[in-house]
Amino acid sequence: MIRLGLRLAVGGGREALTRLAVIAVAVAIGVALLLVAVAGTNAVHAQNERYAWLQTGFATPEIAGGAPAAGPVDPLWWSLRRDGFDGEEIGRIDVAATGPRSPVPPGIRALPGPGEFYASPALTELLDATPDGQLDDRYGGTQVGMIGPEALPAPEILIVVVGREVDELADQTDAKEVTSISTVSPSECGGDCGSTFGINTDGISLLLAVVGTALLFPVLIFIGSAARLSATRREQRFAAMRLVGATPRQVSLLSTVESSVAAVVGMVAGFGVFFALRSPLAAVPFTGARFYVSDLSLRPIDVVLVAVGVPVAAAVAARLALQRVQISPLGASRRTTPRPPRAWRVIPLAAGVAELGWFASVGRPATTSSQILAYLPGILLIMIGLVVAGPWLTMVGARLMAGRARRPAVLIAGRRLSDSPQAGFRAISGLVLALFIGSASIGTIATVVAAANPAGADADLLVQQFFLEPLPATSVPDGLVDRLGRIDGVVGVAVVHMERAPTASDVTWPPPVVSCADLAKTPSLGRCPDGAETVTIDARFTGAVIEGAPSNTDTVWPASDVPIDRLDGLPVHQIIVVNDGSTAAIELARTVLETTVPDRFGPETVSELNSHISRDLRQYQQLANVVILASLVIAGCSLAVSVAGGLTDRRRPFSLLRLTGVPVAMLRRVVAFETVVPLLITAAVAAGSGFVAAHLFVRAQMDRNLQPPGVAYYAVVLAGLVVSLVVIASTLPLLERMTGPESVRNE
Amino acid sequence: MTVPLALLGLLEREPSHGYDLKRDYDTFFGRGRPLPFGQVYATLGRLARDGKVIAETEPGAGPERKRYVITEEGVSDVETWLAEPVQPEPHLQTVLFVKVVLALMSGRSAEGYLDAQRAAHLDRMRELTGIKRTGTIADALLADHALFHVEADLRWIDLTTARLSALAEEVGA
Amino acid sequence: MTPATALEAVEAPSPAAYVLEACDVSLSFGPTPALRGASVSVAPGEILAVMGPSGSGKSTLLHCLAGILVPDSGEVVFDGRRVDTLAEPERSALRRDRFGFVFQFGQLVPELTAEENVALPLLLGGARREAALREAREWFTRLDLEGLERRRSGELSGGQAQRVALARGLVARPDVVFADEPTGSLDSLAGEHVMELLTNSARDEGTTVVLVTHDARVAAYTDREIVVRDGRVTTAPGRAS
Repeated sequence: MIRLGLRLAVGGGREALTRLAVIAVAVAIGVALLLVAVAGTNAVHAQNERYAWLQTGFATPEIAGGAPAAGPVDPLWWSLRRDGFDGEEIGRIDVAATGPRSPVPPGIRALPGPGEFYASPALTELLDATPDGQLDDRYGGTQVGMIGPEALPAPEILIVVVGREVDELADQTDAKEVTSISTVSPSECGGDCGSTFGINTDGISLLLAVVGTALLFPVLIFIGSAARLSATRREQRFAAMRLVGATPRQVSLLSTVESSVAAVVGMVAGFGVFFALRSPLAAVPFTGARFYVSDLSLRPIDVVLVAVGVPVAAAVAARLALQRVQISPLGASRRTTPRPPRAWRVIPLAAGVAELGWFASVGRPATTSSQILAYLPGILLIMIGLVVAGPWLTMVGARLMAGRARRPAVLIAGRRLSDSPQAGFRAISGLVLALFIGSASIGTIATVVAAANPAGADADLLVQQFFLEPLPATSVPDGLVDRLGRIDGVVGVAVVHMERAPTASDVTWPPPVVSCADLAKTPSLGRCPDGAETVTIDARFTGAVIEGAPSNTDTVWPASDVPIDRLDGLPVHQIIVVNDGSTAAIELARTVLETTVPDRFGPETVSELNSHISRDLRQYQQLANVVILASLVIAGCSLAVSVAGGLTDRRRPFSLLRLTGVPVAMLRRVVAFETVVPLLITAAVAAGSGFVAAHLFVRAQMDRNLQPPGVAYYAVVLAGLVVSLVVIASTLPLLERMTGPESVRNE
Repeated sequence: MTVPLALLGLLEREPSHGYDLKRDYDTFFGRGRPLPFGQVYATLGRLARDGKVIAETEPGAGPERKRYVITEEGVSDVETWLAEPVQPEPHLQTVLFVKVVLALMSGRSAEGYLDAQRAAHLDRMRELTGIKRTGTIADALLADHALFHVEADLRWIDLTTARLSALAEEVGA
Repeated sequence: MTPATALEAVEAPSPAAYVLEACDVSLSFGPTPALRGASVSVAPGEILAVMGPSGSGKSTLLHCLAGILVPDSGEVVFDGRRVDTLAEPERSALRRDRFGFVFQFGQLVPELTAEENVALPLLLGGARREAALREAREWFTRLDLEGLERRRSGELSGGQAQRVALARGLVARPDVVFADEPTGSLDSLAGEHVMELLTNSARDEGTTVVLVTHDARVAAYTDREIVVRDGRVTTAPGRAS
């Protein structure tokens, strides 16, 4: 019986083999996608494991884990800071061993002594390439080795482990004494780690899952279109077998064998595609850092699940599909026109929009998890609503088309579409979903990015050092300002003090004050009123805060009543260096600040500060573009398959029409109208829904209005539509070949 | 053979004069060959002599004034003739046609008669097919020739069956 | 031969000997009634023609007799057992083991060769491949199909394809062969060839044949005919149904 099934599967001639090949391709894409998502998750975990040691000192010992040391251990002084160079992040760990048995972090042979440091390979290269003074002075000493890969979350990451004197390091405010190196990855801390250098895998895993699902739907639709090829012929063949006495179970077994063959071939090909894509994929910084190729690995259980699960799923799907059809021995001789779709189909779509709209007016729920619970049903409802409402929209458009048709091609296309709008919509359903997802995500991200990114013109001109705890005035070395001022490219330096020393009862920091003399040298930070000596500024001073402020060039700050001679004695809150934006100036200033007044957070430019926040968003934006493009391509493929399959089914009536004198061009127009019209209508609705959904979401979540998307969005949508039109157009020459006179010969 | 029975059938519908009888025959069955008066009266005379019809004289001159009425025996003759299938031979359309029309006029089931005729035709075709299979090629050719003709009649029977109600209206049944 | 003698020759067979019977069968497709209380009895070894105008329900009657369709009311009895009350798998088994089918078109599986098509009922019944093919090949000689064993259905002429279908219908040595317009798409010569082979084989093996046709020349090869009109079997006067 199985042998018979195999014979049927491969013996069907070109048409059947083409169908199996298309199914195999679709399955291969789906399997590759699945494997990428799984390997990506594994890679993120692996990468995060290598971040674990950076959590040292942040997590409490109970959480930190790590093997209890055998025997007594000498404590290690440890501090982690974030540094930067030319927009790139550098992780800086200062260590000071109190004895020979201090714990050693991974990747290095032994702890560096004072005046020594280990650097990661990428940082080593950077040090070689950078002119003196801009970078190497920060670490003061000689490099004694490179950090090994087991300590590097990503190959190109910049990390330095600097050796210091014990008492020097112990004085540093943020240094801690630890007895073991942490082995807890950041996501497991539950937020207690507090490291600024690491990632939270929950977000990335969720993202991968969402991306995988978003791409999986078009792939499933593609597989469905492929499976529906040659449907009438297969139905006839199965009917003949049923007539001769095959039981329904035997017929479904044969169909299952066929599908399984294609699925197995596709699955193997999918593995091949995945392995081919591993290296290029590893180079994409999903998490902000690249992966090692070996990170993108599959566990044995993953392989087994996919290798066994996919063919099984295909077999089950084939079984279920046949269940619904119930092939009778008489085949499809009695076909009744299916009932037309009714207007109620738009209800789910409207309900989804209404749900989001309610949250937009009421405001967002309190916690993240309840937010997810709030928005997800709305979005899912809209997606389902689009698929449900599609046939009705197609039918309405088709009726309009047929009613107002003046050309026969439009009339034929319109009537055919209004008779079977479900079939007409099925081909483009993938595209519709892809357009909705694309519009919604790009719209949301564009708005969020715009919110986070103030259009400050001075983004690169400012290097500022925030002090976590205000620095007592005595800690600022004399001559620091002069040194900074002497750097080539520095325009001016402003030292921001606090009005008074903060006390324990203060809820917020006391107001910041700056001298007018400083402001005079840094006009982009604002102006003093005439006659004032000091002014009170506010938090938006440098526009560095997320709320997004315009530039301060025209701001006139209110005068402060702190006299100028007392100012220098007050604690220092920030030091701001205004420069000309050149890399040399920025990095020299940074080096000077780091060596004289080091703090937990290194000095940063405003754009670097913002980039931390919006970096993720920009990456999501890029990811969204990739997802949209990929899903448009896949949906385009399924459209091609559907159109080609539809042509094959209607070969005979079209051939007869041609014989009676209907020009091929008209038949081409019919096919084109049948596909293009529903596509345009539903695409408009899908894009519109996507924007409405995005608008309601950002209104609810951030109380903002939708930002019009940039050129990238229009380019992507246009590309998608052009691809679909090209696909449709490319199947039209097939029409001419297929409807030649030989197809009307009586068998 | 048909004319006396046809006239009998017409008289079954209603009694009539000889003149009217000839006119009706010509209308329904004549088709370009009207029946001579002489034949009409001679046939009527024979029928009266055999007891199938009764001639009622009316006051007035000449044989045209006689009114003819069908007897019980005449009716039974008509019935027997209608019910009996005709030999399936070529060129029997006229006879069959007459039978169908008369059956319709008298309210009998023309369909039944046609069905019986079809059965007889098929049996004849079976005979001929048997000859085809067991005989020589020459026998087969002759049998095929007859088969085609019998088939033609059968087709006519099928068509007529389908048109019975329209025909009934036309003949005023 | 006088009509009277012809009538005598086709008396209805005695009731106890029927192999296949439909009693007062009714079936509707949605609102349209196809059969309204049709009844027919078929004797073993009889070759019966089912005639009637288009749309009269003759094919539907055939489908009910063969267990392809289940009537809304009435009984279908084969070899003493009720067919209409059987479940689909059992009716499929019946079609495979006890019945044979020859339809007008579209009945051969295009992916299989001619001999595989003929062997199909045996393969479905669980026979081993070699044994089934061997038995199938025997029929190729009997039905003037020598040399065509390896051809696909698309490579056969209409008459050849119908003879292959006939071989498939006879290969399992069925009790009843159901044919629906088997010569409908063939020219006279090809059609007569098929009818001759069908009736000869049936008479040789004692197979009962139920044949739907509108063609009198085809019906002339049968023993007896019934006429279906408007969903009922009408009886010619003097004939039994």
